[in-house]
Amino acid sequence: MREAIEGSAAIAKAVAMCRPQVVSAYPITPQTHIVEGLARLIADGDLRAELVSVESEFSAASVVLGAAAAGSRAYTATCSQGLLLMTEVLYNIGGLRIPVVLTCANRAIGAPVTAWNDQQDSMAMRDTGWIQLYCADNQEAVDTTIQAFRIAQNAELPVMVCVDGYVLTHTLEPIDLPSQEQVDQFVPPYRFSRALDPRNPISIGNLVTPEYYTEARHAHHRVLIRARDEIISADRDWAAICGRAWGGLLTVDGPAEARVAILTIGSVMGTLLDARQARPELGPVKLIKLRSMRPFPVSELIQACEGLSDLIVLERALSPGGGGIIGAEVRSALFDLPSKPRIHSFAAGLGGRDMPLEIYARLLERIAQPEPAQFAIFDLELDRLPLQER
Amino acid sequence: MAIEQTHDVNELRRRQPAFRGLDAGHLACQGCGQALAARLVTEATGPDIVIANATGCLEVFTTAWPRTSWRVPWIHSVFANAPAVASGIEAALKMQGRSTKVVAMGGDGGTFDIGLQALSAMLERNHNVLYVCFDNEAYMNTGVQRSSSTPHAAMTTTSPPGRERMGKRHLRKDLLSIIAAHHIPYAATASVAYPSDLRKKVRRGLAIDGAAFVLVHSPCPLGWGHGGELSIEVARLAVQTGIFPLVELERGSVASAMALRQVRPVADYLKLQGRFRHLFDGSPAAAEELEHLQALANHNIELYRLRADTPGARDSEGADTVRRGGLRWA
Amino acid sequence: MRTLTRGAYAVAGSSLELNTGDWRLQRPVHLHQAAPCHGVCPAGEDPQAWIARIAQGDLRAAWETLVSANPLPAITGRVCHHPCESACNRGQFDQPIAIHSLERFLGDRALAEGWNYPIVEPDHDSAEVAVVGGGPAGLSCAYHLMRRGLRVRLFEAQSAAGGILRSALPPYRLPRAVLDREVERVLAAGVSFVPNHRLGRDLSLEELRKDFAAVFLAPGTGLARSWDVDGVVPDDLRNGLDLLMEWTSVGSLPSFRRVAIVGGGNTAIDLARVLKAAGVAEVHVITFQALPGPGVSSREAMSATAREIAQAIEEGVIIHDRRGVRRLIIRSERVIGLEMVHMKELERAGGRHEAVAFEGTESILEIDQVVPAIGQRVNPQGMEALLAHREFFESDWWGRIASHPGIFVGGDATGRCGTVSGAVGDGRRAAQVIEAFLRGTATAEGQTSQLIKFEQLNLNYFDHARRADAPILPVERRDAATEIEGGLTSAQVFDESHRCFSCGECMACDNCWTLCPDNSVLKVKDHCLDASDYVFDYDHCKGCGLCAHECPAGFIAMVDEP
Repeated sequence: MREAIEGSAAIAKAVAMCRPQVVSAYPITPQTHIVEGLARLIADGDLRAELVSVESEFSAASVVLGAAAAGSRAYTATCSQGLLLMTEVLYNIGGLRIPVVLTCANRAIGAPVTAWNDQQDSMAMRDTGWIQLYCADNQEAVDTTIQAFRIAQNAELPVMVCVDGYVLTHTLEPIDLPSQEQVDQFVPPYRFSRALDPRNPISIGNLVTPEYYTEARHAHHRVLIRARDEIISADRDWAAICGRAWGGLLTVDGPAEARVAILTIGSVMGTLLDARQARPELGPVKLIKLRSMRPFPVSELIQACEGLSDLIVLERALSPGGGGIIGAEVRSALFDLPSKPRIHSFAAGLGGRDMPLEIYARLLERIAQPEPAQFAIFDLELDRLPLQER
Repeated sequence: MAIEQTHDVNELRRRQPAFRGLDAGHLACQGCGQALAARLVTEATGPDIVIANATGCLEVFTTAWPRTSWRVPWIHSVFANAPAVASGIEAALKMQGRSTKVVAMGGDGGTFDIGLQALSAMLERNHNVLYVCFDNEAYMNTGVQRSSSTPHAAMTTTSPPGRERMGKRHLRKDLLSIIAAHHIPYAATASVAYPSDLRKKVRRGLAIDGAAFVLVHSPCPLGWGHGGELSIEVARLAVQTGIFPLVELERGSVASAMALRQVRPVADYLKLQGRFRHLFDGSPAAAEELEHLQALANHNIELYRLRADTPGARDSEGADTVRRGGLRWA
Repeated sequence: MRTLTRGAYAVAGSSLELNTGDWRLQRPVHLHQAAPCHGVCPAGEDPQAWIARIAQGDLRAAWETLVSANPLPAITGRVCHHPCESACNRGQFDQPIAIHSLERFLGDRALAEGWNYPIVEPDHDSAEVAVVGGGPAGLSCAYHLMRRGLRVRLFEAQSAAGGILRSALPPYRLPRAVLDREVERVLAAGVSFVPNHRLGRDLSLEELRKDFAAVFLAPGTGLARSWDVDGVVPDDLRNGLDLLMEWTSVGSLPSFRRVAIVGGGNTAIDLARVLKAAGVAEVHVITFQALPGPGVSSREAMSATAREIAQAIEEGVIIHDRRGVRRLIIRSERVIGLEMVHMKELERAGGRHEAVAFEGTESILEIDQVVPAIGQRVNPQGMEALLAHREFFESDWWGRIASHPGIFVGGDATGRCGTVSGAVGDGRRAAQVIEAFLRGTATAEGQTSQLIKFEQLNLNYFDHARRADAPILPVERRDAATEIEGGLTSAQVFDESHRCFSCGECMACDNCWTLCPDNSVLKVKDHCLDASDYVFDYDHCKGCGLCAHECPAGFIAMVDEP
C-alpha cells in the first residue's frame, strides 16, 4: 500500500508488522520518532508488545538482549551517543549470537557536540560482530528492516539497519508499505535455539579461557562472513513477494564501459544518482552502493572494480589519525589484485554538512590529478580554521 | 584422590529433598558466603526461574566454560546491566504468557555502584523481578577494591590504611534508603547466618507481583580476612551488633525487623576480620574509628528499633535454632 | 577434545565433573566424642545415645540402648546420685538435662510394657561363671556375662536378690515393687539363681574355683566399721546401717527422742530421714565432710546424694557439717550428750588427707543416743585368704585381682565407689575381662572415645528452655513409705530430650547440609535420624570447615588430608 509517510513512521510500521514482542525505547534525536511511532501502535492495540521505556540506551540494548534470549522477538532504535553508550552491550549481543534488530538513525558523534547526520556512529560499531546494512532511501529502509528480522533469526546474529538521520528519518516520501500477510509469509515466528527456559536450563554468557576464546572468535567471524548468504537470499525472497530487490550486499549502477566508479553508502547514493543524470557529459561513471558493511562484500567489490582505472570512495565518517574507514577496507580488499584501480578515499558530509549535487563533478575533477587521494575530507573549508590547524 | 565412599554421591544428589539451583563443582573460595547465599536463594525460588546475573565473583566462579553450576536458566551479560537484562526477560515472558519468574543477581559493586541506574529504573518501572544483591562489601572478583558498600574504616586495596589513612574514608552507602525511596512493594535485608530468614524473604519477594529487592550480607573470607570456617559466625555477629540490621520494607516503610535479643559490641565482629586489623593497634586514631563504628551500629539500632525487650522465637538468638530431624521454620 | 558450543553456553549440572575436592588441605569427618554424661557415668551409660533415641521418638530403642550398659534403670533412675547432670554441658547454658528423671521414665515404661532385655539365653554348652552376691554389682555382672554368651550361676546369701537395694534402701527412695521386678527381669533372662547360700557357710571359694570357669565376688560390705570416741562406746550402741536394715525389713525402730548420727553418706542421711519420719523429735547428723554447694570440692563434700541431703534438711534433719565428735557424755552407762568440735580434712605431706580438729571450737549437743554410720567393710567369711585382713579387696579398675587370676570382684567390696551405679559399672567391666580371660584374649583398654570439650559445641543454635521438673511431694505429705519424687510425663520426656545438646554426636539437625557453600553434604533420606544419614561428597568438598564450625554438637572434625 502506497502512502506518503515520514521515514521514521514507515520504519515503525515495518517493525510492527514483524511482530516484535518487546521493544525498548530511549529517546535520542533523530530516531525518536521511530519508537514514538511504535508506542502509538502499541497504545492503539495495533501492535501487541511490551514497550519498555528504559532509562538509557545502555539499558535499551540490555532489555532487547534479555528479551531475545528469553524467546521473544525484540527491537530497539538509537544512534550517535546512544549507540556508543550501548557499546559494551552490543559486543555482548554479538558475541552471544543473539538475534535482535536495531535501527541506527545515523548521527555524528560529539565532541564537538552535534545533532546532525553522518555515519561515524555505526562505523564505530563495525567491530561489535553485528550485521550492518545501510539504506539509501526510505523504501529500502522499510524492506531492509523487514529482511533484517529474518536474517537475524536465521543466522543467529544481531542486525543493525542504518538509515541516515534526518535525511531519511524525517523525510516524507511515498512508500510502498507491504501487507501484514506478505510480512507473515516472509518473516518466520521467532525461535531462539538457546532460549532461557526452565524446561531446558542452560547458562549463557560464560567465562571462556584462552584455550577456547580464539575459536569462539573464529566461529563468530566465520558466521558473520557466511551471513552474506542469508542477506542475499532474504533480499531475493522478499523481492519475490513484494517485487523490490536491493542488490543483496552491493549494487553497481552504470554503464559497463565506465572506467571510473564512485563507491558510497547510504542516502548519498541518491544525490550521486541525480547528479550523474544531470551531468552526462562528465562521462560514464559507475555508482557502487555498499549495502552491507558487515559482512564486508570482498568478492562483490572485486568484481565491481574489474577494469576500473579509478575508484572514488566517498564516505560519511573517518578514523582520526588513520583516514578513511571504508577507504581502508576497500584498499585492503583490492590490494592483492594484479590490476587494481587507483583508489581515492574521501570523507564528506560530516556532522550533517549538506552534500550538494555539485560534489559529483568536483569528485571527478579531483581524480584527474596525478596523485590518487590517499585520504582527504572532500568538502573541507580550510579558511574556517586558523592557519596552524589547516 | 579417590576416597572410599559408601554411597553413590551422584545418585544421592539427584534425590536431595530440596531444590538446589546452584550445585557443587563451582570455583568459589573455601567458605564463600556468596556461594551459600546464592544456593539458599534458589532453594526458596524453586526451579521455575530465569536468572540474570551481573559480572562478579558469583558469575565467574559458577560459569567458567565449559561448566556451569546453575541448574536453572541463567544469563550473564555485562557488569552494569543485570536489572535491564532482567527487565527484558520479564517483558518477554510476560508477552509469552509464562509464569516463570525472573531473578536478577548482582554483587555490591554491580548493585550499589555501576548497576544502580539500571536497578533504579527496573524498580521504577515495577518489573515483576526479584533483585538479589549479594553484598560482600567490596569488588572482590577483581581483588578486593572498595565499593560504596564497603564499611567505613575497612581496608581494601584501594582504601588501604597507612600513615595518612584509616581505611575507607567514606561511609557505607545507605542503599536501603535509596531502595525505599522507590516505594516498591517489598524490600528486605538478609544474611547467610540466618538461612531460614533469608529463604522466607526470598519467597516473599518472589511472590510479589512487581519489583522486589533483597540484600544479602555475604562474608568473603579472602576479602574480609578470616578463615572460611568463620563465615557464618562473622555474618551472625554483623547482625547481632546492629551493624547489619535485618529488616523488611513494604512500599518504603519498615514493616518488620529482626530484634536483637543480646546486642554484641562491634569489636566482637571487627576483631575477627583482617580488614579491620588496623583498628586494634591501640592508637588514638584507631580507637576513634572503633568508637565511630560502634556509634554507627548504635544508630542502626535506634533507627530500626532493633532492641528486644523480651526473648522471641525469631529474634537474633532464636531465629536459627535447630532441632533433631532438621526441620527449620522456613 | 571438547568442542565449543554456540556462544559458549553450558548445560546444567556440568560443574559436577570438576573435582574441587583436590583443593582440600583438610577434610571433614564425623568424629564421635564422648559426652560428659557418658564420660562420668559410673555405670558406663551413654545418656547422650539413649536420649537421642527418645528424641527420635523410639522409647524402646532408648531403653535398649540404656540397658546395653545398665540393666537396672528403674532403680538407678531413683537412687543414683547422677553425676551426669553435674557434668551436663547444658548446665553451662541454662540447666542440665534431667537425665536422672529420663532414666527413671524409661525404666518404669519398660516395667509397665513388660519389655525384655534384647539378649538371648546363652548356649547350654558355653562356659559358666559363678557370681557371689545378688546386689547391684552381682546382678550387673550376671547380666553382662549373659550378654556375652556366658552362663551364670548367682549365689545369694539372703532368700531374695537385691543386696543393699533391698536391705538398706527405704521405700520412699526405692519402692519394693520396682526393685522386685527389675531384679526378676535379670534373673529371668537366664540366670541360674541359688538363694540362701552364703560363702563360707554353704559354699567355699575353692569349690567355686574348681566348678566354674571364673568367679565374680560382689559380697558387699556386710560389716560395720568399728567406731568409738577415744575408746568409749555406749553399751547400747547400734550401727546405723544395721538400724536402717532392720527398719527396712521389719519396720521397727528404737524409740529415740534426740539422736545424733555420725557420718555423711547415704546411710546416715537415709537413717536420719527415716527417724524423722517416724517421729523422733530431734535428729542430728554430724560429719566432718561439708554440705555440698558452690565452692565445695567433691573431695570435701558429703558423700550422700545432694538431693537427698536437701530433702533431709527440708524434713527437719539438722546437719552439723565440718564437725567431729570429740567426747561422749555418759551418765549411768547412757549417752546424754556429746561434744562436737570443728574439723576439716586437710592435705598432708605425700598427698594424704587427715581430719584435723580445731581446738577451742567445742560445743555440747544434748542427745540421748549416738548412731555411727561411718561406713562398712567387707565381711571376710569364706574369703579370709583373699581379703588378708584388709577392709576391701585389692583389685584394679576392671575388677581383676592380680594375685588370683580367675577371681574378680566388684561393688562396694572394692572400696572404690560405694554407689549403686558404680557397682553396676563394676559388674559390666568385670564381665568384659572375664570373657577375655576365658577366651585368652587381651582386654581392649580405654575403649571410650575422647571426651568432648564444651568449647567444641556451637550454642548459637539453641535457645533457652526450661528443664523438666519431676514432681516432689511437699514436706507435710511425706512419709517413709511413699516415693517422694515422682516421674515425668511423656510430653515432658520428649521435650526434655530435645534440650539435649547431643554433645559429640550427630543430632541430625541438617545444619551441615544447609550451610555447605559447596553443596557437598548430602542427605540419605528426607528426614535424617543420625550421622549415617549424612554423607560428605569428597569429590567436591573443599575443606572450608564451615560444617565443623557450625555443627551444634561438635560432631564434625577437620583432619589433615593424608
